[in-house]
Amino acid sequence: MKCVTLFREDDHCWQAFGQDPDKPDNVVDTNQYVIRSGSAAILLDPGGMEVFPSMLAALTREISVDDIKALFLSHQDPDIGSSLPLWRRVCKPDVKIYLSWLWAGFTAHFDRDAVFTTIPDEGMEVSLSHDVKLRFIPAHYLHSSGNFNVYDPKARILFSGDMGAALVPADKTNGSMFVSDFAGHIQYMDGFHRRWLGSTRARDAWVAQVSKLDIHMLAPQHGLVFKGDDVKRFIDWIAGLDIGSGVASMNR
Amino acid sequence: MICRVSLSNADFEGLVTAMSQVSISARSHTQRTDRIEARANGLLGDCRRAFHAFGDLDELAENLRILSLNAELAAGRAGDKGRAVRALTQYTRELVNRLAQIQGEMNTLRRRTFALSSTILRGLLQMSLFERACGLVDDGEHDATAKAAVDRAFSQIMHMLVETLDDMANSVGDLARRAHGVEEVVSQSDSIATNIAIEAAAAGVHEKEFRTVSDTMRHYVDDLRKMIDEASDAVRRASEKGESLRRLGLDSLGDLEDNC
Repeated sequence: MKCVTLFREDDHCWQAFGQDPDKPDNVVDTNQYVIRSGSAAILLDPGGMEVFPSMLAALTREISVDDIKALFLSHQDPDIGSSLPLWRRVCKPDVKIYLSWLWAGFTAHFDRDAVFTTIPDEGMEVSLSHDVKLRFIPAHYLHSSGNFNVYDPKARILFSGDMGAALVPADKTNGSMFVSDFAGHIQYMDGFHRRWLGSTRARDAWVAQVSKLDIHMLAPQHGLVFKGDDVKRFIDWIAGLDIGSGVASMNR
Repeated sequence: MICRVSLSNADFEGLVTAMSQVSISARSHTQRTDRIEARANGLLGDCRRAFHAFGDLDELAENLRILSLNAELAAGRAGDKGRAVRALTQYTRELVNRLAQIQGEMNTLRRRTFALSSTILRGLLQMSLFERACGLVDDGEHDATAKAAVDRAFSQIMHMLVETLDDMANSVGDLARRAHGVEEVVSQSDSIATNIAIEAAAAGVHEKEFRTVSDTMRHYVDDLRKMIDEASDAVRRASEKGESLRRLGLDSLGDLEDNC
């Protein structure tokens, strides 16, 4: 599994893990992120159980599992957190698990013994270390009804979950984890956003919310990371996209 | 009519098609988990077969209860000639109560066994994932803490699995005891049916009625026997597999401890 450092300043660091070449073809590709500050780390969307072995192997090249103080699950999907019981087996028993209050009882189906720190709808702020604070910002209905992004104002990175997600065919990747040609990248995210997102009101609220943030990188859970001007390009693109395409298949 | 919504690009559709296919892991398990998994699947299959064999037990018990009530009415109509049959039907009622009790215990046992099965299957899945992780971190490039964490997790799952297999073996033992309980009911019901047939021979005008009771009871006894035959084979196999799995689990634990 590939590991790319997105940001590093002293002991504050963001790393992205994904594009696992050993992943079975029928398992959708996911990105996992780790944010570190000192000896504390938080793992964002640790992934499905199928990617757990390679993710664990890739992560432990970078940090010790003992440094993982928290796991963050943006929402309830299996590709986000079905590996939860496996991570809890290798992490320290007091590892915190952040998840929307909406999904605690549902995600317990993956791991009945997990104790969740639930995130209220408005979101919350957590301190990774004395000078690195992370904001869990709401992204409800995009696509999950209880959904959060993570914003790091110091690194100016927004982990955007399924916003900005792309399904890039393996033979179309160029080895980079970054979008290099925004116009050419649209084809890989267009269908995903049209079909997976359902609420225009939620999309508009999200666009208004993230437009106020200073974002250098927008890091989705699938596909490639946007940086620099591509972040604004993405926000402008999603703001005008016709979403909820599944509705067309009803009442025909 | 269901139509496919046309999406903007073929690649996206191709990926979605791939995602909607039945998920079968492209990676194979390794030998250690393979052996345990194959035997565990066999054990769970035998347990399912044994419970399935007893599936109609409640219906048979109810039929036997109704028969005993009808026999008691017939015995009442026969007056003094029905005295012995009346006593026999009361005894039949006790056997029916015993069957109902066994059935209740078996339902509890079935729930427990299926809960254990679910724990075993979950444990096996986790074990195979950790086994893969073991292979990946044991490459000389990871520090010792990574391998130690994975080994510790693997060992915890193996401990849990061995404990659950122990519980499963006890459940199979309990199931064998319940099957033996049904066997005793069968044998006693058979004797009652014989005795009612003997009483019928001396019952004069009531002979036909008592003989019908006796024949119907024999019919139920035969059905119970069939149940026992089917279940006994499955219970015996489950018992053997449970023991062999437990040994395999203990051996694996021993190996893990030797390697630590």
